[in-house]
Amino acid sequence: MRTIWLASYPKSGNTWFRMLIANLSVTGDEPADINDLPERGGIASARGPFDYLTLIDSGLLTPDEIDSLRPRVYERLARGEPDDEYDAPKAALSVRFVKAHDAYTLTPLGEPLLAGRGGADGAILIVRDPRDVVLSLANHLGATIDRTIAFLNNREAGFCTAPANQHSQLRQRLLSWSGHTASWLEQTGIPVHLIRYEDMQADVIGVLARALAFAKRDASEEAVRRAVALASFGNLQRQEAENGFAEAPRKMREGLFFRRGEAGAWRKELDPDQVARIEAAHAPMMERLGYPVVELGNAARNG
Amino acid sequence: MHRYMASGLRLESDILLPGLIEIATDHSADVTIERRPVAPELADAEAYGPTWQSSGDTFMLRVPGVARFLLTGGRAVAYETETSDESDVAIFLIGTVLGILLHQRGQVVLHASAVRVGDRAVLFCGASGAGKSTMAAALGERGFALLADDVCAIGVTLGGPTAYPDGRLLKLWGHAIDQLELQDRRGAFVRAALQKFYVEPKVSTVEPLPLGAVYVLREERPPHRAGIVRPNIVDAALLLRRNAYRPMLVRTMIQQDNYFHATAAISSAAGIFHLTRALNFKELPQVAAGLEVHWRELGLLAGAG
Repeated sequence: MRTIWLASYPKSGNTWFRMLIANLSVTGDEPADINDLPERGGIASARGPFDYLTLIDSGLLTPDEIDSLRPRVYERLARGEPDDEYDAPKAALSVRFVKAHDAYTLTPLGEPLLAGRGGADGAILIVRDPRDVVLSLANHLGATIDRTIAFLNNREAGFCTAPANQHSQLRQRLLSWSGHTASWLEQTGIPVHLIRYEDMQADVIGVLARALAFAKRDASEEAVRRAVALASFGNLQRQEAENGFAEAPRKMREGLFFRRGEAGAWRKELDPDQVARIEAAHAPMMERLGYPVVELGNAARNG
Repeated sequence: MHRYMASGLRLESDILLPGLIEIATDHSADVTIERRPVAPELADAEAYGPTWQSSGDTFMLRVPGVARFLLTGGRAVAYETETSDESDVAIFLIGTVLGILLHQRGQVVLHASAVRVGDRAVLFCGASGAGKSTMAAALGERGFALLADDVCAIGVTLGGPTAYPDGRLLKLWGHAIDQLELQDRRGAFVRAALQKFYVEPKVSTVEPLPLGAVYVLREERPPHRAGIVRPNIVDAALLLRRNAYRPMLVRTMIQQDNYFHATAAISSAAGIFHLTRALNFKELPQVAAGLEVHWRELGLLAGAG
């Protein structure tokens, strides 16, 4: 069994990608249940597998103590150890895809948090124009656009960081949007296959097929086409409207997790000053990924 | 030396263990806990995990930066600290270490809080963060005495299943203490580095009690709707094993049969249920009220069912 991280900054298409993979093994006409996905690899920051394998209540450890142990947990999971009790063993997978929002960082002991080659065979990194990420993330967090921009620009940003209560997941260090992306692109421990959300929208069949080839996950052309149809945005939205979506955050502002999935909505919804603040913080990485900056020059001329 | 009762065992300990039930010293101890050098590796480990190794009747657990623990035959615990702050060690002794020790003794032990309802024990199982202590605290404010907060040992005899108390203190996060307005009963830090505290419950009980009901806590999220449902016996058996105080030890120590027998005994004498509810403080009073209705239906409380 191979392990592949599905790495992304939040709200960059990770869930859509997981839905596509889940629908690869569907045989009939009915799409995979978004609340009961087959080929479930979970998320790297889940508390359950950590507590299960370490025998220690993660709620009694500091985030740094947890981080120091996380590589050991990922090594064991990569070797196929169970992460919970089941009645029937999980179906044998050729590739285990595991979502991760963590940046590729080092633990306090100086080793890769995600255990380098011991934790996975590779990573599929999904990136999205940070100006669109801001819109989607603001809705996800129930925060204002301006606060969300500050979050993207904060080099020490993370999820599940507040110390006075226990979060449903382990702390995730995200870094800034640029820092997150750079951490994955510049690490040398495991091979990375880069995907742009915008390219998924333009040619999802081609992008998915190339990603599966990277992951060495066999799938026929027919299976890929069917998965793409079953995991269409309309289908995902319809399922969510009918049954809800278990992974939607509690404090989400609008009703739906699968909101629009548009590319380029920022052109209508962000004001020039907001665009300039994002671009000022992230222009080098945006240019590197093919997201041309538009306001930075204007702001410099006007300012 | 300190003498305590926890999970039905008499402990003799050279380190203070907050919240455990203190007892007189004229009985012999079932378990001794003492500071002694503990090697970081077992010489002939047969099974191991990220933090532990086992070999025959010895088991070594390491909480990095806190302590190493060596458990032998369910009778002896040695600990060697890796920190100057000794108060950090106790919470792991009364939690994980005691849980492993109970597994060594072949005892069924659940990750659960428990309160007294009538003359019976009602348990709330769930993973770390599922809301076990919060539920016990909220019910405590309604007059139901605390029986266990985290480690709930179950004895299965001909008389039926019995739950043993694990101590007299709750362990709650600062946020929960504020929401439940328990600031005046907040005690010491559970660990200096965490905003989690020992909290004195309104009432506690130190008597083992026959089981009245076992609830497995679940957050209300699609597709699970709020309410109480009774799973079939096959699902209940898996639920009980998943909520063992360290499910992996059930597998490693090959104790699945014990849990299956316990499931049968609990299902016939009490009942194993899923309790699904929103994970927030606002709805706690409603959840507690719903539970009281259920307890009348089950005959645990007097009144119309």
